[in-house]
Amino acid sequence: MTATMNESGSGAKTGAVGRIARITGPVIDAEFPADAMPEIYNALKVQLTLGGQTSTITFEVAQHLGENLVRAIAMQATDGLVRGQEVVDTGQPISVPVGDVVKGHIFNALGDSLDVDIAELDVQERWPIHRQPPNFADLEASTQMMETGIKVIDLLTPYIQGGKIGLFGGAGVGKTVLIQEMITRVARNFGGTSVFAGVGERTREGNDLWVEMDEADVLKDTALVFGQMDEPPGTRLRVALTGLTMAEYFRDVQKQDVLLFIDNIFRFSQAGMEVSTLLGRMPSAVGYQPNLADEMGILQERITSTRGHSITSMQAVYVPADDYTDPAPANVFAHLDATTNLTRDLASRGLYPAVDPLASTSRLLDPQYVGQEHYDVATRVKQILQKNKELQDIIAILGVDELSEEDRVVVGRARKIEQFLSQNTYTAKQFTGVEGSTVPIKDTIEGFKAIADGDLDHIAEQAFYNVGGLDDVEREWAKIQKEG
Amino acid sequence: MSASDIRVYRNKINSTTSMKKIFNAMELIATSRIGKARQRVAASMPYANAITRAVSAVASQQDIEHVLTSEPENPRRAAVLIMSSDRGLAGAYSANILRHAETLIERLSEEGKSADLYLIGRKAQAYFDFRNRSYKKFWTGSTDSPEFDVAKDVGETLVDAFLTDYEEGGVDEIHIVYTEFKSMVRQDPTVVRLLPLEVVEEEVTDASELFPLYDYEPAPEEVLDALLPKYIESRIFSSMLQAAASELANRQRAMSAAGDNAEDLIREYTLLMNNARQASITQELTELIAGADALAES
Repeated sequence: MTATMNESGSGAKTGAVGRIARITGPVIDAEFPADAMPEIYNALKVQLTLGGQTSTITFEVAQHLGENLVRAIAMQATDGLVRGQEVVDTGQPISVPVGDVVKGHIFNALGDSLDVDIAELDVQERWPIHRQPPNFADLEASTQMMETGIKVIDLLTPYIQGGKIGLFGGAGVGKTVLIQEMITRVARNFGGTSVFAGVGERTREGNDLWVEMDEADVLKDTALVFGQMDEPPGTRLRVALTGLTMAEYFRDVQKQDVLLFIDNIFRFSQAGMEVSTLLGRMPSAVGYQPNLADEMGILQERITSTRGHSITSMQAVYVPADDYTDPAPANVFAHLDATTNLTRDLASRGLYPAVDPLASTSRLLDPQYVGQEHYDVATRVKQILQKNKELQDIIAILGVDELSEEDRVVVGRARKIEQFLSQNTYTAKQFTGVEGSTVPIKDTIEGFKAIADGDLDHIAEQAFYNVGGLDDVEREWAKIQKEG
Repeated sequence: MSASDIRVYRNKINSTTSMKKIFNAMELIATSRIGKARQRVAASMPYANAITRAVSAVASQQDIEHVLTSEPENPRRAAVLIMSSDRGLAGAYSANILRHAETLIERLSEEGKSADLYLIGRKAQAYFDFRNRSYKKFWTGSTDSPEFDVAKDVGETLVDAFLTDYEEGGVDEIHIVYTEFKSMVRQDPTVVRLLPLEVVEEEVTDASELFPLYDYEPAPEEVLDALLPKYIESRIFSSMLQAAASELANRQRAMSAAGDNAEDLIREYTLLMNNARQASITQELTELIAGADALAES
């Protein structure tokens, strides 16, 4: 595999023609002349005429089987293909348009534009989607915090400028809403270029995003790449690379800071699993492909910041059955600088964003980066919540009255902290009817410090629900008192 | 879902099961003791009623002038006796009493009176200790089976405080907060003003309820002097007995509810554990079969 990671690809054998020997769903075997075997990752093309319409199906070589056979993964549906059909080797990997021309347009995994005809675009340069990660010496670890204005994130899992951020969560706990919220908050006030890669998620969400970005007038600085859930596994396996390649160009050639959003990186692993057995690999734990970690590593190692030019990436990660020990999400953890875990427990109580304050972490949450006060407040908040969690079983059995005086105070503050960690967001306005709020990190720290110190013990817990800073809490409290 | 999940759930089930046993035992103990506590309440009633009648008879004399019955002109300090429990596991029993006590203290301070606290039961003591609020005196150790000696001591302490001048730290009023035992299912937190005596002038319809016009020797005041401490002690003791019965009834109810909750929790955890176990079995099976298939193909 590593031998084929060269960026140029070899142009020598362009045009070699082979024949399809076997078709198993999204995977085909093709026979080529012994002196013109396509290299691994090369794109193969088949012309298919079906019902009077001719279309081109693209494949990517995945394995050399021996005896002049290659095994390749289809990027489109293989319906209508027959054995013996001609296969043409393009002599190079799938390549996609890069540069300013991609801004404001939507692409698929193959680099074809979806909103306009590709011929209308003035494509100057195409890059192959398989590339080497930056050299070790070029990497740069930033420690600059990226303020999002969301209390729970800024306080407990501070995001890093040029870092890699994962949003983990089961089905329907708000991953996509949160990633769109991040686009609203970060991309709109961001000078550089944004790239959004939709991997195996709903097409409707992609459409919504396109319309919203157009309305917010940020589309001109954004490239969107989609390979949604109706696409064959080959596409879903490569679409993240397509988006990433575009982002790399902005970083390496145009020397810009880039935002890369990927929703949802789990679908990448899932697509790999779908083709893994067809490629003849023995299934590993939970049925995943045996090279799960390797596959993810090759992708993740490329998403990184180099000297002075950053890719800040936010990746949504679906967690099957809310099980964080599942190999696919567990594999992503190690690659990230900050992980934001969304939990069903909070979502079912209506506390959004449903960030699990105890499970979420950030490399940046260290006194030498965020300052002693921020660190102390975050630690105290976690302590109080942890204590509250330990007491939950007792409360469930005996009731809150059985707790000691100290514990009762802790539970009271923990409940307020839980409510205060929820916040009105811009994207959720369509659900709640409440305008979003941006809370400066200083106010966030001050607010949680006041709760932990017990300065706000007199304020009822409802006043902390779905609000921004302390001013909002006081306004709510005044309203509640007036009504009550 | 993994094997570690199963272990976690099994641990939780085990600990909840042993807690359930404790709750059941506590419930049985409370049930067996409540009968005796009710008997003691019933047994104390005739004496308490008789002495109340006697005191009322004396106090209803028109021309009586006694420090224990006359309203002070400008009350500035009140003693509040709070009867909580020594031990927990009695649901909201102590929390309710303390809430009522807080309301009373607030009301007194609105009327311009400061409150001197006298506490019965460790729960009340812990409550005020935690809040760094001072209290005058406390009694602990026997809230679920009160002894008369304690009631006597409490009574003497309170009457002493009442008879002391305000300037020397005395009080002008005595209130008690206790839980009235109405029935097995109903116990109400109650606030009563013990002193100064409220001479209730009721419409008396039953002739037998009418107080006969006694002549007191040597004087009604002296009779009152002798009667009142006994009256106070009896009132306090009877409140303590009622509080004890209420505590036991609350404990029985709380333990029965806790037992039910524990059972629910066990059921929930069992379901989750079965889920986890089944998931791991399914996973092992699919892995084995898929592996075998893959080997067979190649």
